[in-house]
Amino acid sequence: MAASLPTAIPWTVLIVLVPLIGAVAVTFLRAPAQQRAARWTAFGASLLALLLAVILAIGFTPAGPGVQYLVSSPWLPALGVSLSFGVTGISLVMVLLTTVLAATVIAAEWRMPVPRGTTQGYLALLLSLEALVLGVFLARDLFVFYVLFEAMLLPVYFLIGRFGGSRRGFAAVKFLVYSLVGGLAMLAALIGLFVESKAAFGRPTFDMTALADMTMSTPTERLIWWGFFLAFAIKAPLVPLHTWLPDAAAESTPGTATMLIGVLDKVGVFGMLVILLPLLPNASVFYAPMVVVLALIGILYGAVLAIGQGDMKRLFAYTSVSHFGFIVLGVFVFTGIAMNGAIFYMVAHGLSTAGLFLVAGYLMSQRGSASISAYGGVSQRAPLLAGLFLVMALSTLALPGLAGFIGEFLVLLGAFQRSVVVGVIATTGIVLAAIYMLWLVQRVMVGPLQPGVDRVREVTVWQAAAVGPLVALLLLLGFFPQTVLSLVEPAAQTTLAGVPAGTAATPSLFGLTGGEQP
Amino acid sequence: MTPISVVDIDYVALAPVIIVLVAAVIGVLLEAFLPEAARRSGQLLLTGSAVALAFLTVLIVAASRPFGPIAGGSLMLDGPGLFLQGLILLTSGTAILIMADRRVDPGGDAFAGRVSTLPGGEEEREVSRRGLMQTEVWPLMLFCIGGLLLFVTSNDLLTLFIALEILSLPLYLLVGMARRRRLLSQEAALKYFLMGALASAILLFGSALAYAYAGTIEFAGIAERISERTTANTLVIAAVALILVGLLFKIGAVPFGQWVPDVYQGAPTPVTGFMAAAVKVAAVGALLRVLYVPFGGMRWEWEPVLWIVASLTMLIGSLVALAQSDIKRMLAYSSIANAGFILIGVAAADQVGLSSVLFYLLAYSVATLAAFGIVTMVRVPTGEATSLEQWAGIGRRSPLLATAFSLILLSFAGIPLTAGFIAKFGVFTAAITAGALPLVIVGIVASAIAAALYVRIIVRMYFTDPVSASAGVASPSPLTVAGVGLGVALTVILGVFPQPVLNLVEQTSIFVR
Amino acid sequence: MSPDAYLSLASILFAIGAAGVLLRRNAIIAFMSIELMLNAANLAFVTAARAWGNLDGQVVAFFVMVVAAAEVVVGLAIIMTIFRSRQSTSVDETSLLRW
Repeated sequence: MAASLPTAIPWTVLIVLVPLIGAVAVTFLRAPAQQRAARWTAFGASLLALLLAVILAIGFTPAGPGVQYLVSSPWLPALGVSLSFGVTGISLVMVLLTTVLAATVIAAEWRMPVPRGTTQGYLALLLSLEALVLGVFLARDLFVFYVLFEAMLLPVYFLIGRFGGSRRGFAAVKFLVYSLVGGLAMLAALIGLFVESKAAFGRPTFDMTALADMTMSTPTERLIWWGFFLAFAIKAPLVPLHTWLPDAAAESTPGTATMLIGVLDKVGVFGMLVILLPLLPNASVFYAPMVVVLALIGILYGAVLAIGQGDMKRLFAYTSVSHFGFIVLGVFVFTGIAMNGAIFYMVAHGLSTAGLFLVAGYLMSQRGSASISAYGGVSQRAPLLAGLFLVMALSTLALPGLAGFIGEFLVLLGAFQRSVVVGVIATTGIVLAAIYMLWLVQRVMVGPLQPGVDRVREVTVWQAAAVGPLVALLLLLGFFPQTVLSLVEPAAQTTLAGVPAGTAATPSLFGLTGGEQP
Repeated sequence: MTPISVVDIDYVALAPVIIVLVAAVIGVLLEAFLPEAARRSGQLLLTGSAVALAFLTVLIVAASRPFGPIAGGSLMLDGPGLFLQGLILLTSGTAILIMADRRVDPGGDAFAGRVSTLPGGEEEREVSRRGLMQTEVWPLMLFCIGGLLLFVTSNDLLTLFIALEILSLPLYLLVGMARRRRLLSQEAALKYFLMGALASAILLFGSALAYAYAGTIEFAGIAERISERTTANTLVIAAVALILVGLLFKIGAVPFGQWVPDVYQGAPTPVTGFMAAAVKVAAVGALLRVLYVPFGGMRWEWEPVLWIVASLTMLIGSLVALAQSDIKRMLAYSSIANAGFILIGVAAADQVGLSSVLFYLLAYSVATLAAFGIVTMVRVPTGEATSLEQWAGIGRRSPLLATAFSLILLSFAGIPLTAGFIAKFGVFTAAITAGALPLVIVGIVASAIAAALYVRIIVRMYFTDPVSASAGVASPSPLTVAGVGLGVALTVILGVFPQPVLNLVEQTSIFVR
Repeated sequence: MSPDAYLSLASILFAIGAAGVLLRRNAIIAFMSIELMLNAANLAFVTAARAWGNLDGQVVAFFVMVVAAAEVVVGLAIIMTIFRSRQSTSVDETSLLRW
């Protein structure tokens, strides 16, 4: 790694543009006869984006400056807004995850029939979603971040509302209303920062690096914190703002659900990492106990509800609520290990959830039902499918040797460093995860053959090849976590260094620092 | 005899108003002397060229004339006045394009062939059989536009009142002239007339009290008197209150805007668009000048009132809009809600607030015109499909129209990359800087409510299956396409590249006192 | 003599007019009430002009008279049209529009 790339090429912008151009190109291949060409175009664009992400990763210097390959040009000088994109260790990991998942989804749904609308429309929406999410991860200007954050809603809204299941309209609107409320809260915070930065620097700026150096009065900082936090907590989804997720996931196609949970929700946590902690450190510390408690509730609540679900997609959604509890916990206990773990966890969770949704998607498209009770004994008919499913499930319940384990272990380790009680409570989440996952595998894959399941066929070579890389990545990261951690560690250190409570982590029973800092 | 002193009048600076009003008079003559067959094209040519010429003249005046009082101090030539004049002419021109369309309705344009005929009577059938179209609407439009141009530049109380009447009287008539659903239209005209005349009378009485207090009707003189006062004076407070009520009536702010939904629903749709855009621009412009120039010294008295009115307007406008089942009424309430957002910027009461209001007016007026233009195109056999249920599934049959309408609704909702977002950002920022944080919080709550409303309509267009009574989309003439296209294009352009216009409103946003 | 008495009278006339517009259901009466309000304003203008010793107020009064005449033309035209359609000038009966 660490071979530097020619800076004449705006890599960070290019990587956003490639899927966007792909999306536009796909909409031009409108005729039904061009469906095949459209698929290849979309796949090509997503592969190219992946390739660029890998190149960027090779050119990235983990030990180098925080923001690399920064490209910036003024956009709205009157508001202090510039179009600037750059890559940090954290965003690089998210970009890699996004591009991998987008390419996987397009490949995995190669033959998926689109019930309403056209395949071309579906692919264009997927690609534009990929582009917008990449933009959010790479944006170094808060205003641009916000604009893309909001714009992201539209493709998802249409993906759910047009291509989803029977209650798609309801799910799409619920998703949109939640997100809009979050977006407006963030807008309020953004206006607050605008006014503050104008007062502090004499001219407004939205540059994240500059804003991190700004100090604000305590009440202002807390008010602004709430605006951002609401937006990110809705997106991440943190209990009690998670209720849109099960509906949205259950009504989506497997590909949409993958992008939704695997990538889009990560934006919420990403926002906490790059905005809440660096820009509003004092408020973050002040409210950390509250966030940690919410995260713990999320871990347990999501897991318990997952056990009780009868619908596979809803079950996956609730497991994600639980996992996001872990991730947010990792961010807000303010220890280096936990933060590394949280970022690692995001990758692992993205990969395994994608696998679960896509493999279950194959199953559902053949059986025509998402209800768990409609299945049983699938492994007799489709052993490879069952095997793939099992790997994903095992990573989800954090079996050592798979990526999920590393993330969960690091987060728990960090949590114990901070507070034994928090660590213990979080650990029960692992037990519950074992219950809901293994029970699911047992009900669906083994046991007597249910009527209707005998029609289930094995995955095709193409399908296996599409999902196979996910398995490979889960194993790779499980055995060599350093590949990701080395990218993340310096960035996590920098983030923590700005947080007052993050420096010293001494274990204690309730050792949640928070409240008023001296 | 002693020689009389002649008032010095800068005719070049006055040219936009003169052009429009002279064209209006010529239009009346054309009605009398042109043969029936040539009238429509003649009137259209006259109206269109007068508005275009006036717009060019505004640009020339802006570039060449020094700012200051013109026409003996009755009018004021300054940045906001010129910007608003340009904006009024731009929106009026767009509205004229949409009004001139006679292809979307198989019977002709949006106006009754002969307004004097009884609705449903024998004469009316005869008129529609002969395909008659009336052309008096065009001189009426020109008179109205002339009034609007005067309204935003008036520099004394008398000119303000006269301009208000010049713009209102033709509008009362235009509202009652719809071709379809004529009874509804006539009732709307009556209601608008009574409410409008009441508002004028209130404004006039307020002016009388202000004159009684200050001894002059000139804005500068009143401002001077107010700056000299040491104690609170009932007379001047009553004057400000009454003038404010009169202008808020015209703007359609809660609680003075109950007429808005009825009138907007009943009026011919292109006229509704014109009222929602150009007339609202002028009314806000006049309000700004009145509050900032003569009564700027009483800021502490009127600001709390504006806070309350703005909050109520945003919240009630958005909430009631949610409950509507008629698209025109929904847009009417949405325009009320938008008036509330505009008032946030007005309440900020400084240069930043003023420039944010100017930008908001531009963003709002072009979007609103395009919205009503689109409403004219969505039709059932008996006329426009105004029931929201009939809009189900439009997105599938006419994706282009649905996309355009969605863009406009997104702009109303203040979604980034549309003009509406930059506009809302501007007024909110101005308000926070001026210390009106509670107002901004109310504004954000109202935005959330309004967003739900607009999303509901987008859902209906795209995701709801069409019902049997669903509307079709008439193929419009190039005129409507141009009008709507301009609105949509500006909505997007101002959302992505607002910088030049932001610079412009920042430079123009100083009232000459 | 203090101009206050005249201004008070004008205010009372104005209030009567406003009440008339808002309370009476007949369009003609409502319309007459508006005329009353305009004339109340005229009285105030003329009084103030006398009190301040300048002519502005009297000039305004002339303008208002002309405007009032124009308003009559437009207003009666609208009321006539409605009357011909419905044989009534009651505001209540015009009910196709709801509040």
